[in-house]
Amino acid sequence: MPAPRRQPTFNTLAREEAFRNPPSKDATYPILNEFVAPHIESFNNLFDDADRRGLISLGVENIGKRVVFDGSGRESGSWGNRMQFWIEDVAIGRPMARERLTSYRGKMTVKLCWSDPQGQRHEMHKECGMIPIMVRSVRCNIAGMSSAELVRKHEEPEEFGGYFIINGNERLIRYLILPRRNHVISLLRPTFANRGPSYTQYAVQIRCVRPDETACTNTLHYLSNGSAMFRFSWRKQEYVIPIMLILKALVSASDKEIFEGVMMRDYGNTFLTDRVELLLRSFKMFTLSTGEQCLEYLGDKFRVVLNTPEDWTNAAVGSYLINKLILVHLDNPRDKYRMLIFMLRKLYSLVSGACCADNPDSPQHQEVLLPGHLYAMIIKERLEEILNAIRINISLDVRNEVVVDFNDKKYIQKILSKVSFDIGAKLANFLATGNLVSPTGLDLQQASGFTIVAEKLNWLRYISHFRCIHRGAFFAELKTTTVRKLLPEAWGFLCPVHTPDGSPCGLLNHLSRTCRIVTAPLAVTHIPAVLAAHGMTQAFSASSVDGRANICVQLDGCVIGWARPAVAKQLATSLRIWKTEGLNDVPLDLEIGLVLESKGGQYPGLFLFSSRSRMMRPVKYLANGRDDQVGPFEQVYMDIACTPEEIEVGVSSHVEHNPTNFLSILANLTPFSDFNQSPRNIYQCQMGKQTMGTPSTALQHRTDNKLYRLQTGQTPVVRPALHNTYAMDAFPNGTNAIVAVISYTGYDMEDAMILNKSAHERGFGYGTVYKSQIVDLRDVPGSSKSGPATLHFGLGRDIMRKAEEDPHHCLDFLDVDGLPFVGAKLSSGDPIAGYIDDVTGRTRFAKYKGDEMALVDQVRLLGSDAGDSELQKIQITLRITRSPVIGDKFSSRHGQKGVCSQKWPAVDMPFSESGMQPDVIINPHAFPSRMTIGMLVESMAGKAGAMHGLAQDATPFKFTEEDTAIDYFGAQLRAAGYNYYGNEPMYSGITGQEFAADIYIGVVYYQRLRHMVLDKFQVRTTGPVDPVTRQPVKGRKRAGGIRFGEMERDALLAHGTSFLLQDRLMNCSDYSTAWVCRTCGSLISLGYEDITLGQVSSGPIRQTGPGGEYCRVCRAAAEQADERERAALANGHVPSTPKADLHVAITSQHVLGRASKGGDLDVVAVPYVFRYLCAELASMGIAVSLAVS
Amino acid sequence: MSAQQPSGAPPQNRGQAGGLAPPQKELMEYSCADCGATNEIKSREPIRCRECGHRIMYKKRTRRMVQFEAR
Repeated sequence: MPAPRRQPTFNTLAREEAFRNPPSKDATYPILNEFVAPHIESFNNLFDDADRRGLISLGVENIGKRVVFDGSGRESGSWGNRMQFWIEDVAIGRPMARERLTSYRGKMTVKLCWSDPQGQRHEMHKECGMIPIMVRSVRCNIAGMSSAELVRKHEEPEEFGGYFIINGNERLIRYLILPRRNHVISLLRPTFANRGPSYTQYAVQIRCVRPDETACTNTLHYLSNGSAMFRFSWRKQEYVIPIMLILKALVSASDKEIFEGVMMRDYGNTFLTDRVELLLRSFKMFTLSTGEQCLEYLGDKFRVVLNTPEDWTNAAVGSYLINKLILVHLDNPRDKYRMLIFMLRKLYSLVSGACCADNPDSPQHQEVLLPGHLYAMIIKERLEEILNAIRINISLDVRNEVVVDFNDKKYIQKILSKVSFDIGAKLANFLATGNLVSPTGLDLQQASGFTIVAEKLNWLRYISHFRCIHRGAFFAELKTTTVRKLLPEAWGFLCPVHTPDGSPCGLLNHLSRTCRIVTAPLAVTHIPAVLAAHGMTQAFSASSVDGRANICVQLDGCVIGWARPAVAKQLATSLRIWKTEGLNDVPLDLEIGLVLESKGGQYPGLFLFSSRSRMMRPVKYLANGRDDQVGPFEQVYMDIACTPEEIEVGVSSHVEHNPTNFLSILANLTPFSDFNQSPRNIYQCQMGKQTMGTPSTALQHRTDNKLYRLQTGQTPVVRPALHNTYAMDAFPNGTNAIVAVISYTGYDMEDAMILNKSAHERGFGYGTVYKSQIVDLRDVPGSSKSGPATLHFGLGRDIMRKAEEDPHHCLDFLDVDGLPFVGAKLSSGDPIAGYIDDVTGRTRFAKYKGDEMALVDQVRLLGSDAGDSELQKIQITLRITRSPVIGDKFSSRHGQKGVCSQKWPAVDMPFSESGMQPDVIINPHAFPSRMTIGMLVESMAGKAGAMHGLAQDATPFKFTEEDTAIDYFGAQLRAAGYNYYGNEPMYSGITGQEFAADIYIGVVYYQRLRHMVLDKFQVRTTGPVDPVTRQPVKGRKRAGGIRFGEMERDALLAHGTSFLLQDRLMNCSDYSTAWVCRTCGSLISLGYEDITLGQVSSGPIRQTGPGGEYCRVCRAAAEQADERERAALANGHVPSTPKADLHVAITSQHVLGRASKGGDLDVVAVPYVFRYLCAELASMGIAVSLAVS
Repeated sequence: MSAQQPSGAPPQNRGQAGGLAPPQKELMEYSCADCGATNEIKSREPIRCRECGHRIMYKKRTRRMVQFEAR
């Protein structure tokens, strides 16, 4: 009876088929398009589409109109002729075809409109340069293409876009965590008290976001006198206004109305009554009673700051301020008023201790800054700046009394020509550097570090870029570690495992696998009505609502009503049922945060969120078994069971679809990660991203600066189910190795591993590095930057070509067109391209600068943008072979990294009873302290999988205490004829004797890390030295040495190895000999006497060294002494010898030959820097003297 | 160590070019990076595919013998 045909588990044939014939309808792996969706959709949000207005047009609307006057009627007291101008249409075209080493961008044009004094409308189209376009966004040429079409376009079949191409580099805007929009959070910050007199640590804050995604943060500070100050910032400048002024200005509220609004019938609360009374009383000093007066007061104070048209009344300026800067997410002043009252109530409740401060580091109060939204903000601000610049230019002309004529088209043209419209260059610069140049700061806490390069080092690293989310550069400098803490609120949204260790730890996180970011606003206009129909008291009747018995209902930061807690609970439940079942048109992505009253807990309320940029994740709603989306705000108040077994009836409301959903993509790919000690999983997330793997399947069409490629990638035998889902087999990252855990030769100590030499020869871990070199003749010194080229690729007539006449050596590498032969082998300094200089008529060469042998893999001739000029730029892909060598780094998938210490000959490797030899030997000491049991399980599972031809499922949380992994894989091993526990008797390869212990041997997937000795080794005996100190230079690139520092010196001192110390710090460094004067101890006073003709006959005999050396200082002193003696003889005075201010520290027994005047010299060995130091000190008037004995 | 260019076998195209007129007008074959068509481009001519107008060309692999010593 034939055995039943088993289903293939490695899907090799299916995968090959998918590569040969990629699907022409859809992507091969659609999930890859899903996880970059927030990037692309947020970019698509920029543009208008059928059912929604784009962020740019919303922004343009928000910018409004600018007004200028020509000042013609200055004498008569009027402002003169009025001109308005505004931007109407912003169009962004499709980019040109994707090119190499340039940017991917499309043309942007705006319609600039203005009305002349007659009210006649004019318009003009202005070009704003080339705007970088996100790949696969709606404006991209490969948007929505199927895998087959992508392959035809020479792209990756799995290309998912989401990045920008700037100068040939793929760059993306990283997600950034921001405070949750349109939600009031209470803060308790001691630094607030330093803001000024009577400020306290209490405040409530709301980050308001306009429909065009620009934000404005408002803060309400509590003052110790019971009142509150409203704070906002305008163009990076902060302003505070008494809250009463705004409350009155908004709706001309009477004192009674404000009192009732804040009190909400809670008259027994004396804490509240006292403070509201003070609030109302303290405002009396302003003597403003009506709303109009308040608006005029505000307008008067802010007129200069806001730059509003001159002819506006104070009241108009006041309302402009309120529209522009106060609770900008709400349009209606009444809504703003209600929200302010709510903020005030929350503030007082925080102060009284009735509720606690919110944690701004918790994901509950956070959302995400999406790339497209940041882009929209920058574009909007740039457009606004253009209008401001026009206005400034005109008013400058008015002030300088230049003829200003708004009816003259020529004048308008002249003004516009002074204004830079190049938004494209500004955006390209933003993307290339990540620096935000902004006069307003865009309500963000940082001005740089927004963009990163999407490195295609390997597939894991590449896809991780698109899921990473940063807390903000500001927090990186913070000394406290509270922001880095892993909070339980982050469960399911941010991966607890996938964060780097070191300085960005906890600040740079990665989104969990199933975490989504909402990119479309939801249709929720009908929700207030629905809620009111189900028992919510509507907002306008607030004064009759009892604040003690009701909680506030808010939708996106707008007070829509009040409800008793029981009703609110009922409403929340109903909403959840409606949204999961699609009833009442309640959208699924609506977040329903029900916070019930708790003593000293979070401020209660029913908070609904429907806006963009929120994190959401799918779970199953137990009440009806439907899919539900939950957000971080509501999750805190939910009971979500991890597995169906954990569901507690009456307690659990939801259950996870999959217990591994809280992990990021990378953390999910660690096999059996639930068996490992958790830091090891963190290390694997790091190392997976440093692996030499398969970066791309379109390697032939890539021009990255550096690409690592593993030639012998395999699919792992042991892999989690998600390995297939995320197309990991299309980009293999390592090799299955037979690993024996044995202490064999001693070469596997301290995390070293022994590689089987035969495995190495069969290609284990063989890798290649592709580097690219660009030769651009326009950049070569001596080329003409504009005009016709003076340099041309090719070989001139000065290059001897005939073989018999000793051909020029460049002909070994270069073809007649001056470009290298494809396949040529280059070593350092070889010519890589030849070009003729028209000026001199001679041929010059560009050289290969690397140290390693490289092969020319590809030569690309890059034409100009228009395709009409001759060749000026080439790109050469060089292939550098990197076979594994001793010192290269490898790791398993469990944070177990090691360095290859030997390539051990196969004959001497240990072997098993069946004759198997390990490819890799690691030391058993790698396990006890690290507790990576996952690796041991993987070894067993891999062995069983290899024997049975099975891809083993290594998804975490699949095994339990009752059903253990050991038993599952042990049974498989036994069925294959192996020991149940994976141990095998083995024999020494050297003696042939059986080892006393059975050896644990199995199959483990090994990654080759990109850290290779060839890039790192640093060794020198002699080499370049620093010209000033004559000490060896530093730096590997310059063939320098490694610093032998103070601590190393201390170690040698402690060991008493002074000869070694002398050797390192003196002989191998800046050893030098110097003449030192024994008399004065000076190092710097060496003089030479010409003794070639013998001693000078006349005068006193001067003592010199063998080469005529003498001490100039001492000789001068001696001559002076002689002279003085002579003078003394002449006039009878006994001279007093002048005391030298030199402090010579020489004991008398050490100074020999004192008699000889002029000094005698000795040769001493001193470090050269010491001589330098002496010279430097001498320049400052400090003499150093050496005691020579 | 390695012998890239065996001394006895000078490449074909070099023989023609050396003696003849100005070396500026070398005719070289390149393949288009987009459509793969072979383009003959003289030196100092614009880089543009005659078939599809693409502006990137690949240099073809050399016809010379490339021989490295295997060690």
